[in-house]
Amino acid sequence: MDANRNFLTTEAADDGTIVVAGDIDMAGGPIVEQALQARESELQASGGGDIVVDLTGVHFMDSSGLRSMLAAARLAAARQAALELRSVGPEIIRLLEITGTIDQFTIASRRD
Amino acid sequence: MTEPTVAPPSTAPTTIGPVRLELPPQSVMSRVARLTATGVASLAGFTIEEIDDISVMVSEVMVALVEHGAQSTIVVTFDVADDCFTVRGATNIADFRLDHPDLALCRTVLAAVSTRHGIEGTSARAEIWASLQQHES
Repeated sequence: MDANRNFLTTEAADDGTIVVAGDIDMAGGPIVEQALQARESELQASGGGDIVVDLTGVHFMDSSGLRSMLAAARLAAARQAALELRSVGPEIIRLLEITGTIDQFTIASRRD
Repeated sequence: MTEPTVAPPSTAPTTIGPVRLELPPQSVMSRVARLTATGVASLAGFTIEEIDDISVMVSEVMVALVEHGAQSTIVVTFDVADDCFTVRGATNIADFRLDHPDLALCRTVLAAVSTRHGIEGTSARAEIWASLQQHES
């Protein structure tokens, strides 16, 4: 049994947005990274565009989860694209500010 | 039918623990540690914002020990004394480089969310601790 199933899910919306729900931590980070890498491959094959991630269902992220997000942001940046984050909660914004990594992402929208 | 009674406000205990966990070195165990820590902090009367910080604190301790330890049992203790929550984690180490970039990121976060933190150890074992002092209400 994959214990992560109970704690984190990712799914691709019709427009390609990766919708994440759960904790992006040491266990969830690799799952998110895998989903983002799959989207990155699709975009590379289809001519480009930003990776869009909906974080409405994410209320916790730690440094290991952040590293997974940064890896995807760097891949996107290498082809002049961005990792766009939507509906980013205050806990996640705080982590990005603490670590000085907020500029690595495009923050499209925030939630309270 | 009797009227429902309202329990009088309880006074949070001033001292709790140490509560001790022995965890296998698996990433998902970070969640077990966080759940326990938030329970202890809640019992001690920490605010939601403080509990959020404690959750991050505990997660960073686990990141350091799971990712940089020697894949042996991780011992984590939580205690509250003098309105201060402390998490201590320890495990065996083989090659624990304080200047590793991932560990540096971990310590950056720890420094921001805790009142104090530290890493101590020998060539064979590392201990990481972090404390959060409760704000006066």
